[in-house]
Amino acid sequence: MTMWSRIRSWMRAVMRRSRMEREMDAELRFHIEAFAEDLVRSGVPHEEAMRRARIEFGGIEQAKEECREARGVNFLHSLIQDWRFGLRMLKKNPGFTATAILALALGIGVNTTVFTAFDALALRPRPVEDPDRLMGVYRTKEGENRGALSYPDYVYYRDHTKTLSDLAMFGGGMALTTTDLPPAGPEQVPRVVSTFGFHLPQLLQGSAHPLMCFFVSGNYFPLLGAQPAAGRLFLPEDDQPGAQPVVVLSGNFWQSQFHSNPGVVGSTMHLNRVAFTIIGVTPADYLGTLSSAPVLWAPIAAGPLVGNGTRESLENRNVGAGIVYGHLKAGVSLPDAAAEMNVLAGQLRAAYPEIERNAGVRVASEREFGHIDADTWPIVAATMGAVALLLLIACANVASLLLARAAARRREIGVRLSLGAGRRRLLQQLLIESTLIALLAGAVGLPIASWTLHLLVAEIALAIPSSWGAIALQVTPDVRIFGYTVLISLLTGVAFGLTPALHALRVDVNSALKDNGSMLGERLSKSRLRDLLLVAQVAACLVLLINSALLLRGSQRALRIDPGFDSKHIVYLEMYKATLSGYSQEQLLQLNEQLLEQIATLPGVDSVTQASRGPISGGNRFVPVGTADAEPKANREVNDERPAIGYSYVLANYFETLGVPMIRGRSFTAEEADTRAPVVVISEATARRFWPRQDPIGKRLAIGSAHGQPPYPGETAPFSPESEVIGVARNVRNLALSNPDESYLYLPLSRSRQWISTLLVRTSGNPTSLLPVLGSAVRRVDAHVPAVAAPLDWMVSFDPYFVISRIGGVLCSVVGALGLFLACLGVYGMVGYGVVERTREIGIRMAMGAQREQVLGLALRESARPMLLGTAIGIAASAAISRLLSSMLFGLNPMDAISFAGVSVLLIAVALFAGWLPARRATRVDPIVALRYE
Amino acid sequence: MDKQMDLLQGTLDMLILKAVSLGPLHGYGILLRIQQISKDRLEIQQGSLYPALYRLEHQGWIASEWGESENKRKAKYYRLTAAGKRKLQTEAEKWNRMADVIAGVLRSTPEEV
Repeated sequence: MTMWSRIRSWMRAVMRRSRMEREMDAELRFHIEAFAEDLVRSGVPHEEAMRRARIEFGGIEQAKEECREARGVNFLHSLIQDWRFGLRMLKKNPGFTATAILALALGIGVNTTVFTAFDALALRPRPVEDPDRLMGVYRTKEGENRGALSYPDYVYYRDHTKTLSDLAMFGGGMALTTTDLPPAGPEQVPRVVSTFGFHLPQLLQGSAHPLMCFFVSGNYFPLLGAQPAAGRLFLPEDDQPGAQPVVVLSGNFWQSQFHSNPGVVGSTMHLNRVAFTIIGVTPADYLGTLSSAPVLWAPIAAGPLVGNGTRESLENRNVGAGIVYGHLKAGVSLPDAAAEMNVLAGQLRAAYPEIERNAGVRVASEREFGHIDADTWPIVAATMGAVALLLLIACANVASLLLARAAARRREIGVRLSLGAGRRRLLQQLLIESTLIALLAGAVGLPIASWTLHLLVAEIALAIPSSWGAIALQVTPDVRIFGYTVLISLLTGVAFGLTPALHALRVDVNSALKDNGSMLGERLSKSRLRDLLLVAQVAACLVLLINSALLLRGSQRALRIDPGFDSKHIVYLEMYKATLSGYSQEQLLQLNEQLLEQIATLPGVDSVTQASRGPISGGNRFVPVGTADAEPKANREVNDERPAIGYSYVLANYFETLGVPMIRGRSFTAEEADTRAPVVVISEATARRFWPRQDPIGKRLAIGSAHGQPPYPGETAPFSPESEVIGVARNVRNLALSNPDESYLYLPLSRSRQWISTLLVRTSGNPTSLLPVLGSAVRRVDAHVPAVAAPLDWMVSFDPYFVISRIGGVLCSVVGALGLFLACLGVYGMVGYGVVERTREIGIRMAMGAQREQVLGLALRESARPMLLGTAIGIAASAAISRLLSSMLFGLNPMDAISFAGVSVLLIAVALFAGWLPARRATRVDPIVALRYE
Repeated sequence: MDKQMDLLQGTLDMLILKAVSLGPLHGYGILLRIQQISKDRLEIQQGSLYPALYRLEHQGWIASEWGESENKRKAKYYRLTAAGKRKLQTEAEKWNRMADVIAGVLRSTPEEV
């Protein structure tokens, strides 16, 4: 009741403010006039009566103000007043406002970015039915605890579990091809890639279209509660051996290729030459249990038809088939389910002792996409901590900026205090000003966050070849994240607004009015904490900037490195092996011959060669190698301690085509290659390694062993107990750009026996313009085979060390520049504060004849010491860190003078400039004005 | 002792409630009524009367409406609400208890302690 009346009167007061003011006027006037009338009645003349009535009443305005206060209107009204005043003050100092807002906005933006990314990766539940009860079932064996279950094991658990409702399997993905669609156009080159300066190999324009297909069990969609956008999704009967092959399209593919035409359901699509019926479409961006959307979905049972495993592998308990998901039944807890699964695993161990020995099963919640385990937590925590620290530094700097300003406004505050402003009211006004800054910063920070997120996720997703599937992380800042930003901004406002505000309120009215700055020789009230903060900032941003300079200069150097082969005129071309699963060995060899023939006759092509991998391109392959006569052969199989050396199978014309000269001896003859004779060409480094200061020609190497595991399915591991060295090729940077002295073996490739999916084409012209021509040549030979291609120059820039040093360099310079900006802000605030504090002192010095330079020096001296200390610490720390980077610098001296000296000088110059801006004000002090308030 | 006494803190509210409990009054009327019933022994700062009225109205003890004064002028009249009536009762009881206690304390002689 009273609560309600209170609210009503408050509402009335707020809503009908002008009416209330009118009524209050009328009421008080009535009082005074009534009083005066009484006086007139007792014989006082009218004029005199009015005068006495007013005096008796006391301060009318004060009474009104108290009345407003009594109604609770005043708080709101003063809030609006302070708000307006704050906006005016901010407008009056656009430089200060812009810097403070920008600094905070960066802090807030970076925080929101990281929070959003973390949320999208780790906190957001999967978009499936009842994600809280979604469990994953994994095989554990010998330290591996996220292993895939084999298909027969999966079936056993599925059929016997009573704690989990149905178990569904995700059986992996694979690129398939179709001839039912037009050939692929050129892929879009994402901006982020050109920023960093490296390219991923492109899908060869004109060749067939690879489509990422995910294989799932028939109960997968029902388990996750997925609804089709058209047609229907899989049912368990679609996932039976011998069932009619069916496929479900992703909504994204349906939109882009079929313009969302529902008529496509029921039609036929040829995948790897097998006819599939399209039965339905998933909604756009539907991810299932994954973080990327495929192009197609097919039942696991259809996998063997297109080369995803074989019928036998689905019956083999040794072959991992996929990840298994299930929902906890009502009333069942995770430990219950785990206990039951362990019992079932025990039954399997008893039934198949030789396969399931040491194997177990693990049940884990699959509520979220990301798995933050004990190993990842420190990284996540460090990132979040670093980002939070960035915000803290931004706040501290803005606080020192505000402190400098508060010092400048001391007189204003003194005047307002002496005119009767309440301290509470002043505090409120100062807090509102800083809240205003924080809110504006939040408003600016949000677009910054959304932009960086877009750059981070969308651009990187674009950079990934479309055939790998579409990454569909939800990364648009949503309402929750906006709330988070606003909360940070407000907390920041209160946090950094409080210190300067309280400081400002310690003002002694008298001394403030007399503009009593520090007396000559008096120590400034300077904060040790602020000094330390500046030291830390300068040191940290120097470390970042020096190392980014090193990395960028190093990676720039990498582009000028001579890799030992002719990277400028060679195109690397690789066919999608998986899509050729239906081909027999004869067909593959025939296809290969035709391809070599077709490409060799293309205009602009000088020669074509083949190798199991290209230099810096294709998967690395290693084999243990020793001299044939040094070790007893029996030892090798058990415990092979010979060094593992990289190798390629190459055609006889490989060296000629790639421009790798023979230092000694010769290359293979066509006949040696064809018969796979036990001969080998080695690199200079290999020769030096095994036979220092000897002629290696005619010496023998023992390569591999009979038990060697093939590096890739379909390949055989090299094995030759006695291979004769017939040639020494010049050193080539085959495995890593950073290693100029690499041991490497070249083994003869038999064109008539061994099929290899990689070609290297030498052109006299521009390799990039050769790409479309190559695409149509591949299509002429076989329209079903997709291929990726890239000039070797691109592949060189895709060297992992290059990529790491480029990304590291760019990221370090971004964060370092941010740190530099904040450090400058710190210097600016510190010097500005000092100048205002010492205005009188400066005035006296100038009156005594001090020069402009001396005054500048005086103003800058305060911040110079922490700056120099920070620089020294930063250089020392950088020197320690840069040594660790030496492998990514491509021969650049880790103590590179240009990086160290250049960046240090740049930093000091920029920081001095930041100090000079407010210091200038000191030189403009008019001695007369400064001394007048004496 | 002076003829007029300053008001003890917090008693103005109670006096206002008492004044309007006898019938609706405008602000000036309340002032006169208090002076009348206290036989001019209480001094009320006129300026502090209105903030007190506004506060009491805000709290819901009294309600106001515009009416016509004795000499035909528009004036704002305050009357006691039901909540105000209860408030006045409890305040008066509290006051009387307090006055008794204080009076007892002041009356005490050394022998009683």
